[in-house]
Amino acid sequence: MEFLLQSILNGILAGCIYALFAMGLTLIYGVLNFVNFAHGELIMWGAYFLYLLMEKPIGLPLFLAFIPALFFTMILGLGTDRFIFKPLRQANRLTLLIASLGLSFLLRNGAQFFWGAEIRTYGFEIKRGMRFWGVSITSNQVAIIIASVICIALLYLLFYKSRLGKSMRAVSDSLELARVVGINSRRTIQFTWVIASILAGLGGILLALDTNLQPGMGLINLVKAFAATLLGGVGNLWGALLGGIVIGLAENLGVLVISPGYKDAIAFGIMVLMLLVKPSVLFRNQE
Amino acid sequence: MDLFLHLCIMILIYIIFALSLNLEVGYTGLFNFGHVAFFGIGAYASALLTLHHVPFELSLLIALAMAGSWGFLLSLPSLRLRGDYFGIATLGFGEIIRMIFQNEVWLTKGPMGLPGISKPILFSYRFATLPQYFLLALGFAIITFLILRIILRSPFGRVLRAIREDEVATEALGKNVFRFRIKSFVIGSFFAGLAGTLWGHYITFISPGDFTLLETILVLLIIVLGGKGTEWGPVIGAVLLIFFQESLRFLRLPAEYTRYLAPLQQMIFGGLLVLLMIFRPEGIIKEKGKVENVRSETGQ
Repeated sequence: MEFLLQSILNGILAGCIYALFAMGLTLIYGVLNFVNFAHGELIMWGAYFLYLLMEKPIGLPLFLAFIPALFFTMILGLGTDRFIFKPLRQANRLTLLIASLGLSFLLRNGAQFFWGAEIRTYGFEIKRGMRFWGVSITSNQVAIIIASVICIALLYLLFYKSRLGKSMRAVSDSLELARVVGINSRRTIQFTWVIASILAGLGGILLALDTNLQPGMGLINLVKAFAATLLGGVGNLWGALLGGIVIGLAENLGVLVISPGYKDAIAFGIMVLMLLVKPSVLFRNQE
Repeated sequence: MDLFLHLCIMILIYIIFALSLNLEVGYTGLFNFGHVAFFGIGAYASALLTLHHVPFELSLLIALAMAGSWGFLLSLPSLRLRGDYFGIATLGFGEIIRMIFQNEVWLTKGPMGLPGISKPILFSYRFATLPQYFLLALGFAIITFLILRIILRSPFGRVLRAIREDEVATEALGKNVFRFRIKSFVIGSFFAGLAGTLWGHYITFISPGDFTLLETILVLLIIVLGGKGTEWGPVIGAVLLIFFQESLRFLRLPAEYTRYLAPLQQMIFGGLLVLLMIFRPEGIIKEKGKVENVRSETGQ
């Protein structure tokens, strides 16, 4: 029973992180109408930027290092848009997707070039977690929950209570119509990249705090984020949140039944299952 | 001479691999980003069978059938998806297949890999030496090239191109788009399996680390560089890129640099893909008669 509770807690924790990934992915999809294959690499670079700032010779403490790390991730996201996706705004879909896949591979190997392929951690000593009703939770994990809840709350405020959020929603409905009513679409697109990169970077940092860093972490989390996005309905922000938590729970409960070697495959399995059972859900959401 | 033959064999194998992807990406407009999965299935299936003393002819056929039927199974749910989603589904599938190679230790020996794969024996002739293997690869490459050429010049091939240009219009003309796509995907997977089988028996040692995203990117870059949707594009792309890749392997670099060489080479591949998409998406050879290309030539 305690084992089960622990798995549920871990699932929700992982789910919060996946939700951050999925929300970023779905935001970009909503506004620019393509799946950014390099989103996983923003996640990975976010985590590595923090690593860079915390290691020697800089050696900042965590609470000082994470803000510049997010800032660098944001610059990276904006840079990819400015130099790669902006020239391709009018290009056809295949061109755009191949470019984003190539970018993803470039960024992934960039990290491998500097830090090698080995698994790294931020070097915190392993602490015994606090125990409540037989369930253990570490202070890092508490931080993950707090950070995700704050992030989601801010996103809600931004989206529904601010002009910028309103224009983002307008652009994602229809770029042309938004232009007609005088919304600055260029600024809105840039702002969307800012939010999506910060969500990705923060998610990557939280994931690396809870587990570890490696250059391959981007790709596998992209697939998970995408599965969560599909579950929640593409372009739907709160659906992505819910989808992320479902994927996190399914993964952590799933390994009780199947071999842990396949943990990363569970999200893919859910995706395929969804497509087989209810393909109509997708088509409705694509409108 | 050996080096040259090795280079030729690798190029021929990648020509087969690239031609199969060109059918899907170039002609049908399917965004298959997990093509390495079928290459891997072909390599593993045939390697495992011959290691259990199944004759090569039979294991080749079974390996091809395996690659084709896995393609069919994957296409059923995922080809219902629109382009981008199909791209992610195939990308994910590529990773899952590698996970299976890694985790099913009882079958694949996991990360240890499969050493000692025998050289192929076709009709009691053993293709053991480099020149012999070169002939084998050349034969299969020509067969693949000709079969795909016949397929693509037939009415079937025209429907595939029509689907790429306008799915709705093709559907309106009474073609079952979903079915045509499945057929294209299965044929593509089949030939990717062939390339994988030839590769496995040539290298004689395979492990899960050989079937990563790198292979997918490389083969995608081959067709994009050469010119997707053209008959000779994949051939040119394979010659250029495999020459580049294999010649890096023979650079005599000090050991401390090799750790940087692999990621650097892969960064070049990724960056090249991005640059090509921005500056010359049609590649070296332009596809003739394609609506977009005609427009850009006549300046309309």
